[in-house]
Amino acid sequence: MNLLSFYSRNSAELLGLTWQHVYLVVVSTGAAIVVGVPLGIALTRRPAWRAPVLGLANVFQTIPSLALLGFLIPFFGIGAWTAITALILYALLPIIRNTYTGIAGVDPAVREAGRGMGMTDGELLRLVELPLAAGVILAGIRVATVVSVGVATIGAAIGAGGLGVYIFRGVATVDDTLIMAGALPAALLALAADAVLGIAQRRLAWQR
Amino acid sequence: MTAAVDVRGLAYALPGDGRTLVQNVSFTVGPGETLVLLGRSGSGKTTTLKLINRLLEPTAGEVLVAGEPAAALEPTRLRRRIGYVIQEVGLFPHFTVAQNIGLVPRLEGWPADRIAARVRELLALVGLDPAAFLTRYPHQLSGGQRQRVGVARALAADPPLLLLDEPFGALDPITRVELQREFRGLEGRLGKGMVFVTHDVREGLLLGTRIGLMHEGRLLFLGTPEEFRGSTQPEAVAFMSAVDPGPAARG
Amino acid sequence: MAAIGGRVLLTLALLLGACGRHDRIVVGAKNFTESDLLAEIVAQQIERRLHVPVERRLHLGGTFVCHQAILAGQIDLYVEYSGTAFTAVLKHPPVVERDSVFHQVASEYSRQFGLRWLTAFGFDNTFAILVRAADAERYGLKAISDLSRVAPRWHAGFGYEFLERADGFAGLSRVYGLHFAAPPTAMDLGLTYRALADRKVDVIAGNSTDGQIAALHLVALEDDRHYFPPYEAAPVVRAGTLERYAGLARALEELGGKISDDEMRRLNAAADVEHRDIRTIAHEWLEAHVP
Repeated sequence: MNLLSFYSRNSAELLGLTWQHVYLVVVSTGAAIVVGVPLGIALTRRPAWRAPVLGLANVFQTIPSLALLGFLIPFFGIGAWTAITALILYALLPIIRNTYTGIAGVDPAVREAGRGMGMTDGELLRLVELPLAAGVILAGIRVATVVSVGVATIGAAIGAGGLGVYIFRGVATVDDTLIMAGALPAALLALAADAVLGIAQRRLAWQR
Repeated sequence: MTAAVDVRGLAYALPGDGRTLVQNVSFTVGPGETLVLLGRSGSGKTTTLKLINRLLEPTAGEVLVAGEPAAALEPTRLRRRIGYVIQEVGLFPHFTVAQNIGLVPRLEGWPADRIAARVRELLALVGLDPAAFLTRYPHQLSGGQRQRVGVARALAADPPLLLLDEPFGALDPITRVELQREFRGLEGRLGKGMVFVTHDVREGLLLGTRIGLMHEGRLLFLGTPEEFRGSTQPEAVAFMSAVDPGPAARG
Repeated sequence: MAAIGGRVLLTLALLLGACGRHDRIVVGAKNFTESDLLAEIVAQQIERRLHVPVERRLHLGGTFVCHQAILAGQIDLYVEYSGTAFTAVLKHPPVVERDSVFHQVASEYSRQFGLRWLTAFGFDNTFAILVRAADAERYGLKAISDLSRVAPRWHAGFGYEFLERADGFAGLSRVYGLHFAAPPTAMDLGLTYRALADRKVDVIAGNSTDGQIAALHLVALEDDRHYFPPYEAAPVVRAGTLERYAGLARALEELGGKISDDEMRRLNAAADVEHRDIRTIAHEWLEAHVP
């Protein structure tokens, strides 16, 4: 049975799994942005936090995905929320780190002029630092998203659904069509996310 | 008329090792006057400037800006009433010239048309054609043009006091002389008090109504350019002999 | 293109361990404890009788992975179950007659694949449809037919192999008329027990000889419509390997009929519940039962 006929016979299931996959990635990346960007901003205001926060985020990133999922199961059980928790932890490092470097990379003269003119910290952040750092921050979000699409496929091992379901079924039954049926859309999703966010990044990145 | 700035017994010691960078500095600058703070690198002149707009907090002494104690105001409120021009200029790269100049008025909530009119007025004042420059971005400007915009930006909310930290130091000699001449013309018309930091004696003698010579954190001399030229104060003599003041200083 | 890619990956994965194959016997196992245990028993038996080095490839993968591996010669033998071979590998519809399944499987494997089935160990590890003991009591569940009553309000969780096999979920739900609230959640087989115990799902398909059934207070429902064929475990060996090593068949036949259902459950519990080392368990069992 070739791939196309598999897809036409299982289009509803394919759509369902793709939707699950997108859900996992969007929810987790969204949460990581909500937590990570403010944390990255905080790191520029409090240098003492930098080493512990970046260090911790780095630890999560270094743990292999399957191992991290395994660690989380006793606390969160199986299912989508465990996978989402793992994905959030993975996405944190690129987002926090890029937010920090993007803002820290703003020309010190610009910051000094802004403060000297009487901008509050909030105005400086909102009008100057964040707009100038937006390109770098978005680059971090882009990396986090693309990695998430990949790691989300492993979530199928713990009942989180998504395109990994096809891959695991295919591996269990040595069915290449099934494996590709999951791997191909997952790869396309990653490429698409990368392309779309790349466009957004170029639009926002500031040419000095 | 109230002095633009009145500094009394100002001092600053580093928080870590307690080293004093500024000690017992006092001076007054009236409206229309320019005090040039002259001194070598490390003499404390930039530090003194930053003590006035509280980018650094004084460890002793007081500062009055337009009659009001600077310490009593919220630092950001204080700074909005002081124009600040730095050597690197620090224009916001993602703002147009108009947006850069209009920043403080915008933060203060001025109506849009008032801001637009003010921006045009200031561009003309600093010698830039509004039609040509309003919508340009900083990266499209030369060094001299950028600093003109920097000065315009500092003047936007019509502050009584202007602080300038070696504003022309990063420019090439020809542009520097050009801007010094134009600035001299502006000084008279604006009627504002200015504190101008430089290590260039020629510039100081040209632009200052008075010169304040700083050395190792203390104010060694405070007087007119003529008095400075004739002073027997060793540091003043050192400065005068190190440089041959050009024809402009005698003007 | 996809097919070639998949096969290349699989072959590469299997090649990772196989080198210098003519001087040792490679024993494979499927990816669950019982399979590992039986493989270890077989491996140690070969070592003590034949004094030939034995390489273990435990927890290799599911049925299909091991089947491909033995066909390709990457492993020389592994323990397979008659019912699984009958429905999943040979793709016959499920049939219940005990003797006919084993004989048919043995003759077809020999003819089609050049693989020999040796004497079965003596136990039947069939699929156990498991529910929590508390639920079994509350809803009066004794047989799988009883499940159709509660299915519409329940969630099922299965491993990937059970979902794909002909003798798996598809056939089961058809024969018993099971309509669950939503399609079953798919997950790694090992996690289904925890999912059931943690109340994330309400019914799973485990193995009847699993050690955790009693430990987690689970109950196996009776297969009253006789949907599942018998699953008798036996060593499956490449014909060539049997010829190359005289005495191999005899050594493995010594294990025939030595493990009952209860004995297998006890061995599984020693590994899964008591967390004892598989090598030690196998060694002790051999010393006691095959001196």
